[in-house]
Amino acid sequence: MNALSAIVQIAGGALAPLLPGSIQTLKARLQGRRGPSALQPYRTLWRLWRKSAIDPEGTGVVYWLAPPLVAACLLAALAIVPVAGHAGSFGLGHDALVLVGLLALARFALAAAAWDTGNGFALMAAARDLMISVFGEALLILVLLIAALSAHSSDLRAMSTAAAGSHIWSGPAHWCGALAFVLVILLETGRQPIDNPDTHLELTMIHEGPLLEYGGRDLAFLHWAAAARHWVMLVLGAQLFLPHWGGFAASLGLLVAGVAGLCGVLALIETAQAKLRILRVPALLGIGCAITLAGVGMWVAGVGA
Amino acid sequence: MTAIEHVAPHAWRVTVADALAGGERFGGAWASRRDGHPTWRALLVSPHGLRVVSCPASEGHLESIVDLVEAAGWDEREAHDLHGLEFPGHSPLRALAAHPEDPAQWMTPVSGDGVHQVAVGPIHAGVIESGHFRFHVIGERILALDLRLFYKHRGLERAAEGRDGAGGLAYAQRACGACAVANTLAYAQAVEDAGGLQPDRELRSARTVLLELERLYNHLHDIGAICAGVGFAPGSMAFAALKDRAQQINQRAFGHRFLFGSVGVGCGAVELDASSTDATRGALRELHADTAAAWRELEFAGSLQARFDGVGVLGTADALRLGAVGPAARAAGIREDVRGASPRLAYDDFTPASLAEPTGDVGARVRLRAIELETTYHLLDGLLARPLTPGRAVAVAETATLGVGRVESARGATMCAVELDGARVARLRLRTGSYANWPALAHAAAGNLLPDFPLINKSFELCYACVDR
Repeated sequence: MNALSAIVQIAGGALAPLLPGSIQTLKARLQGRRGPSALQPYRTLWRLWRKSAIDPEGTGVVYWLAPPLVAACLLAALAIVPVAGHAGSFGLGHDALVLVGLLALARFALAAAAWDTGNGFALMAAARDLMISVFGEALLILVLLIAALSAHSSDLRAMSTAAAGSHIWSGPAHWCGALAFVLVILLETGRQPIDNPDTHLELTMIHEGPLLEYGGRDLAFLHWAAAARHWVMLVLGAQLFLPHWGGFAASLGLLVAGVAGLCGVLALIETAQAKLRILRVPALLGIGCAITLAGVGMWVAGVGA
Repeated sequence: MTAIEHVAPHAWRVTVADALAGGERFGGAWASRRDGHPTWRALLVSPHGLRVVSCPASEGHLESIVDLVEAAGWDEREAHDLHGLEFPGHSPLRALAAHPEDPAQWMTPVSGDGVHQVAVGPIHAGVIESGHFRFHVIGERILALDLRLFYKHRGLERAAEGRDGAGGLAYAQRACGACAVANTLAYAQAVEDAGGLQPDRELRSARTVLLELERLYNHLHDIGAICAGVGFAPGSMAFAALKDRAQQINQRAFGHRFLFGSVGVGCGAVELDASSTDATRGALRELHADTAAAWRELEFAGSLQARFDGVGVLGTADALRLGAVGPAARAAGIREDVRGASPRLAYDDFTPASLAEPTGDVGARVRLRAIELETTYHLLDGLLARPLTPGRAVAVAETATLGVGRVESARGATMCAVELDGARVARLRLRTGSYANWPALAHAAAGNLLPDFPLINKSFELCYACVDR
């Protein structure tokens, strides 16, 4: 089972672009457009991969190191996140806090690269990303704490196993965690109402901004990393906060259904919601933190357990 | 016929001050040459009609009136850059059409702890015209905004000189695609005004239909663009579809999606027989029902409405001071619409649209457009009740050397002044609604968040091309 999980984990790297691709396709259909095929991200990656990278004047090691570093962080994240409660042994362990650290490192690398280029839009977007991530990371840690409490472990495999079955849903804590994880997904994948992945308006950008100075292979790394973020977040969300039970095969099937369902939810939210005013985003994430804190509090108090 | 009053340089400021005190409004100013001497002219608008005050600037300078009427600021800056006039009292006289390298020559000096500049454009990521925005910001907050337009200055006004009255029309039209009818109509009215001509009833209704069809697709587009500005896809898609249907109606009825070539000088250029008017009217009625339904959807979209209130506020006093026109001014509580005083068009008993709460923010400008769309549909339905025949303009007065036309475009009052030398155009000046509103946009943006600027910008939706000319 672990070997099979390891294969799926590695396949995740190849399957990840399918997630933003299918969200895009679904969204187009919901908005009455034909839209691009779900395979479009692969075509984009292929096109970018064949192009040479650019080397803006005045930039140095931070600039050219950032894309491979970001991609490597996400690759490591893929190795850490189990699939259907099992994972291959890649020597990185499966601790939830390592995942938080890797995502933060990727964010830092990109922000530092924005600093290196000195591009106004990139810096502005990176500053917003860092400002929002102060709240976002707190939320992510709190949500993972809820899952860890019932598992008595911060090992993602144990957390996934503990979240299986119906018993976990009898307490309010898990519900709070599930609610807040939706916000984590929206933030980490850079989707509306927090960020608009389709916009060309540089002044409103958050996650897209630091990518502006990149082209070719570097941009392919970053695009892939953004897709891998979708994979990591949706797979994690489906395992920790969506109902699943039964053996490995059943869990795997439910995981696939869960991820597909979450893609649909993201497309729906992005269609129905306008982007939030930027200074409301911390407030939204703050509400998420309050919900998770309430969940933690209720768990500690033993409500419903 | 537009009255023209010649005043001496020493009486220039007094005349303008008296006119403003008497309730007249500034409608634009332009430089021209008379007997080899530079002359400065200003249009004054009152409910009774138009009046041009002309003053020689023999030595190339004339006292500024910018302290009396701030709306004249851009006119004076343009005249300085393009005609070499000096305006003592207008200090600093920043570059407008010229693009000096030294930032001090065109930017507002803004300094302080943590204040920095963000430069956007002239090349943008989307399909947007060329314009450079220099934001002075602190954190995410805009302190001031400097505009640099005129990247697509084609010298259309100068190129039109020497053409005959009908030949100059093309230059007014090419100023801008989305305001083609308004610009050509203002031009045609100016030439007819100089020629002592008055359009007959047929010509008046045909032109009114064209002007309203132009407003229709522009307003539909603008509402959709505002939705796109905040990433509200259902709204932007619905209104983009409605706009295209409106342009298809233009194509079917008049052979051009942007209604090019639909205005003639002194005569009509379009004709619509009974079956075509019926078909157009029917299509417009369907469009009307669908527009109303799409608008209701927007009114109930909470996440969209939450972005509107209190953003990009243009107050009544500021709108008046800066000479804002069109939907932007009406959303700020100024009940002015050229359509209410257009004897050359078929707007009988027209009342300008108004809001119960003219808050002057993005929301007010969107809602005002929705109200104006209703008016436009009703006007079109009435005017298309009978076939359109070309009509013509008939002589009612002596000819003159100067004529002024003024129409309400989708963006506000568009003024065109034409000076004739015999049958030839000696000077053409096109001052569009966008030209009047850009300073108001810069003012409304200050104090807002930088990521809200695209939304504020789209709520004004000003043209660059017809400013650059």
